[in-house]
Parts: sequence; structure tokens; C-alpha cells
Amino acid sequence: MKRVREYVARWEALLLVFLIGTFVFGAGVSRYFWTASNISIATASFMPVAIVALAMTLIIVTGEIDISVGSIVGLCAACLGVCLERGLPIGAAMPLSLVVGALAGLGNGVMVAYVGLPSLVVTIGTLALYRGLAQIVLRERGVSDFPEWYQNIGFGTIGGSPVPWSSLIFAVLAIGFAVFLHATRGGRALYAIGNNREAARFSGIAVKRGLLGLFVTSGVMCSVAAIVLTAYLASARSDTASGLELQVITAVVLGGVDIFGGSGTMVGVVIALFVLAFVQNSLGLAGVTPEAQQIATGGVLIATLSVFGAARFVRAHGAARGRFRRRRPRALATGGRPSGGGEESVKAHAGRE
Amino acid sequence: MITSSETPTRSRQSGGAWGGFADRILRVRELGLVVVLLLICTIVTARAPRFLDGPNLEQVALSATLVCIVALGQALVIIARQIDLSVGAIVAMSAFVTASWLEGRPDGGILTAFLIGCGVGAALGTGNALLVAVARIPAVVATLGTLAIYRGAAIVIARGRQISATVLPESYQEVAQLHIAGVPLLVWLALLLTLFFSWMARYTRLGRNLYALGSSPQSARVAGISETRGIAFVFILSGLLCGFVGVLWGARFGTVDAVIARGLNLEVISAVVVGGVSIFGGSGSVYGAALGAVIFAVLQNGVQLLRINQFWLDAVVGMAILGTVVFYMLLARRVERAEREWRRLATLGRTGLRVAADR
Repeated sequence: MKRVREYVARWEALLLVFLIGTFVFGAGVSRYFWTASNISIATASFMPVAIVALAMTLIIVTGEIDISVGSIVGLCAACLGVCLERGLPIGAAMPLSLVVGALAGLGNGVMVAYVGLPSLVVTIGTLALYRGLAQIVLRERGVSDFPEWYQNIGFGTIGGSPVPWSSLIFAVLAIGFAVFLHATRGGRALYAIGNNREAARFSGIAVKRGLLGLFVTSGVMCSVAAIVLTAYLASARSDTASGLELQVITAVVLGGVDIFGGSGTMVGVVIALFVLAFVQNSLGLAGVTPEAQQIATGGVLIATLSVFGAARFVRAHGAARGRFRRRRPRALATGGRPSGGGEESVKAHAGRE
Repeated sequence: MITSSETPTRSRQSGGAWGGFADRILRVRELGLVVVLLLICTIVTARAPRFLDGPNLEQVALSATLVCIVALGQALVIIARQIDLSVGAIVAMSAFVTASWLEGRPDGGILTAFLIGCGVGAALGTGNALLVAVARIPAVVATLGTLAIYRGAAIVIARGRQISATVLPESYQEVAQLHIAGVPLLVWLALLLTLFFSWMARYTRLGRNLYALGSSPQSARVAGISETRGIAFVFILSGLLCGFVGVLWGARFGTVDAVIARGLNLEVISAVVVGGVSIFGGSGSVYGAALGAVIFAVLQNGVQLLRINQFWLDAVVGMAILGTVVFYMLLARRVERAEREWRRLATLGRTGLRVAADR
């Protein structure tokens, strides 16, 4: 346990170094980088991704995945747009969009937890389905006459300070999620589910209910993100937030959450979110188009996974060798098989893999 | 329960070779697809007789072929319990690179164009293969990453440019207009590839290895099948077929830019899943996936002919994926239950015999 914590601590320290590196890079790219307004814009523009990433962290810790997040955000944004068109006040549209998000998450959760389908398959299906529903309700229209106070959620800053309102929402949610994951029984249960689902079930953890809750939470977070994003863009369209899942999953993986489940911390994810936010911002300042920026995001995702994959490989093979060394004298002592051939066959096996 | 245990006995009693044959045919999963296909065709024809016109059928066939060829590769990927989300981006990249090579060459060699397109596809597929088979990154996240990288790279290379039919050699466009025995060349190509890969998956050692890897990677490894090689093979093949389709894409539509084939990923995955390939790996057939592609093409055409709001299409694709997956899972559970019951009865019978013999 202590060793695990040390390992994670080291990864987060490395992420802080990355963050400082990003700041240095950004400052080198443009002299506008270190202005309060730019930092404020960079933060505000990344908040929708950050809010969704909080729930995604919990989902990936349990060894599941939710690819439909972008589509749920789109569906909730479409819902906001349609409500506004029909003359519903935005104050009533926001709770409605939260309900829509929760229902979308409930759909995913029921299919994963109670029908027993893999989350990957379910959310690929709902990725198409929820985006399709958004297109059905909003078609090609864009809705943009949102009231001023609502747009402030996405772009406005608190009082005279450069801190955007959306980052306040994110901070409150992030603290809540971190406390839940690291300081409550429910949070520990998620790690247990991610490490060994059967063992978790036999030790009395309600795995199915937990998974259902997670996907509903993810849906609700998506609709919070939709509220913030619609306010930031000041318009709602059916293709809002398409491709969001790439940024969200990249942030979570860069934050040190094991893609196979069972480990990772919220602090790591939050630092990773800021790294990505400022990388994108400085690339933008350097004149790199958003389409080209996705190369960087994809590259970060794959590089991180490769690093963790290599670490896992070294650990697994190092451990195997250690175990073998420990076993050999015991085998000799009990008069077991001579060990020479055994070692060779293990090597041959490893070589074939 | 009673029906499922009686069916084999009845067919064995009722009619010799013919009964056995009919029984086997009825058990083929893909038969259901053919019925669904005919049903959709009938409904569409009843409400829009234009569906059966020659030119319309040809359009349906042509749009089915492109999805179909990509679906062949994806079917093998899914059979090996992997998934490739980057197919659309590979098609776009290959199409753009090929078109920009052909642009300056009015008498350009079509064969070289195909080689370039397939080469680009195979190279990008090798990228996926390295990540999934060698670095052991889960296929979903690895191909989600390469999807972004490939698409981004295509957009950067294209710089918003569009290559249109006017600057492309005529011989390139003719590839899509060539007919053999009244049927477009592309359709023949898709048919040949479907037959070839169905045969390969079913009857060669390589193909059987993919099924083994998909149904249980551990057992396959113990049986001496190389996981690395199998997985690398399916990803490279999928890339290669996407590259091939990229070349055909340009020939068929005439205009190529970096954002073509946006929705192809989901279309192909749903064609494969609807075609009866188990998303859990290890079962299903390649020609089922091809049939799935045809069904989608007919559906798409039907939506246009019947003037149904085309915005429904994505939702229909999503529901088709979820519906089929649930359907096949319930089917598999039922079969499993029936088999367990059979085993129980057989054990009971044996025990009974033994008890009787002891007495």
C-alpha cells in the first residue's frame, strides 16, 4: 500500500513538472500567455471537459468506460436550446436538462449493470443514439438568444477578479468528488470493484447498484457540462461537444488513472486537466488550428498509455523473475523437478509473447 | 425447454438427408438477416416503387460496397475481440493522399494509385497494430487516440483544400463507372473480397486462430497461438482494406477532402454487429457483416426515398447496435441454459443406468 502511494505521488510530482513546463512553453510562445485574461479564458474554455472528467475518473477506476459523454452533452445542450425556443425560462430549462442527462446516464447504467453488457459496447451504441436524438430535436438549427446572466456562467468572472464562474462550479464539484473517492467507504468500494469485481461482490459491495449510480452521475455531470458549455459558446447546436470523449479520456489517463481500473487519484486528474488546458491554450496562441490540436491530444493519450504499458510490462516481468528466484531453492529442498529446464521454458514462453 | 430438446430428435426422425439439410440451413444465423433484408426491401418497394429501378439499385449497391469492404476488416478485428475506431480517418487519409498524387497526372497510373492508397492504409493500420498488439494498450483507447491523430493529420495535410473531379484523371473516375455483365466493377470487387475473407476466416488456420483468440485469449495462448501476431494481423488488414476503400471513395464521389467518411466508424460497427458478429469476440461470420452493410445501405436509401427525416439515421444506427447486441446476448444465454439442461439430463441418465446396472 505504501509503495503504491509512493508510486502515485511520484507520478503526480511529474505532472506538476509537466504543468510548469507547459507554463514555460506558453510564455515562450506568446507574451499574452501570462496575462490574467488569457489564463481566465484558458480555464473557462476547458471547464466542460474538466467537469465530465470528474465522473469519468470514477468510471475508469472501476474498470468501465463511457464513450457516450460527448453525445450526452450534445443531447442536454439540444434540450436547453429547444426549451429556450419554446419560451421556457432558462431557470426551468436547466433542471430539465439535468433530468435528461440523468436519464441518459440511467440508460447506460441499466444496460451495463443489469443487462450485463460491456460498457464499451453500450456506450458506442448510445454515442450514436443520443447524438441522433439531439439531431432529431434540434436538426440543423442553432439556438443562440440566451439571457445575459446565463451566459455569464460560461464566460463571466466573479466580481472584478479574473476567476471564471464555471471554475467555481468545477472547484466545488472536484472537492466533492475527491472527498468521495478518497475518504468514503463508497469511494474505496470503487477501487475494490476495479481491482476484482468478484471479490468485491463477495465482500458485500453492491456492485450493480454502484455501477448504475456511476453512470447516472456521469450523465448528470455531462448535463452540468452542457449548461456551462452552452453558456460559454452562447449557442446550442446538435453537434455541440462532438469528440469530447477524446479530451476527457486523455485527461483521466494522463492523470495516472489505470485504464484497466483499480488505481488513480483525483489530484492527478485535476493537475492533468490543467496541463491539457494550458497546452491547448498555448498551441492556440501559437496559431495551431483546433483540428491540428487534436493530434496533440491523441498523441498525449497514446504516449501516456505507452509509458504506463511499458511500466506494467517491466513490473510484471520483474516480478515474475523475482518469484522464480524465490521458488527455486524451495523446489530443490522438497526434491521437486530440477530447475534448469523450468527456467528455460519460462524464458522461451516470455520470448514468444 | 421442451421444444429445444425435442427439435433435434424430430428432425432426425422426420426426414433423412433433406431434414438434416433443412435443419442446418434454419440454424444459420445469417438467414434471419436475409429475411430482414427482404422485409425491408418489400416495405420500401411497397411505399416507393422507384426503389426497384435499375439506377437506384445501382446506387444502393455502390454505397453498400464501400461500407462492406471496411466492414470485412472490422469483422475480423471484432472476431479477434478487438475494435478499430480509426477506420473513417484511415479512409479519409488514404483518399486524400491518393487524390493529391493523381492530381498532377492526367494520365496517371491507376494501379500505382491503388498501391499508394493501400500502402497508406496498411501503414496507418500498422500504427494501430503496434499500439494494441505490441504495447498492449486496450484497442478502444488506442484507436480513439489514433482516430484523432490520423484525422488531424489528414486535415493538416489538406489545409482545408478540396480536390475535385475536374483535376483528377478520367481513368480514375471510370473505375467507379466500369460495368462487368451489367454490374458495377466495385460490386464485383466487394463480392470477391467478401467470398475470400469468409473462406479465410472459416477454413484457414489463420482464420480459425482469430476465432480462438476472440473466444478465449488465454486458451489460445496455451494452445500455442501467438496473440501478438493475430492481433497485429487484423489491425494491419483492417487498415489495408480502409486504404483500398479510400481509393474507391475518390473514384466514386469525385470530390475528396479531409473530412470525408465522418460517420463511417459507427456505420461499419453497426453493420458488423447487426451482421451477427458477436461483440464479445469469437463468433459470427464475415459474410454476415457484409449482409449487415447491405441492410444499412438499403435502409439509408429507403429513408431517402420515403422522405423520412434523415436526422433519424444516427438514432436508428444506435438503436440497431444496442438492439442486436441485447438480442444476441439473450440468444446466447438461452442456448447456454438449454445446453446446461441437456448436460444435466445426460448425467441423470448415465447415473440412472449405472444405478440400474449395479442392482
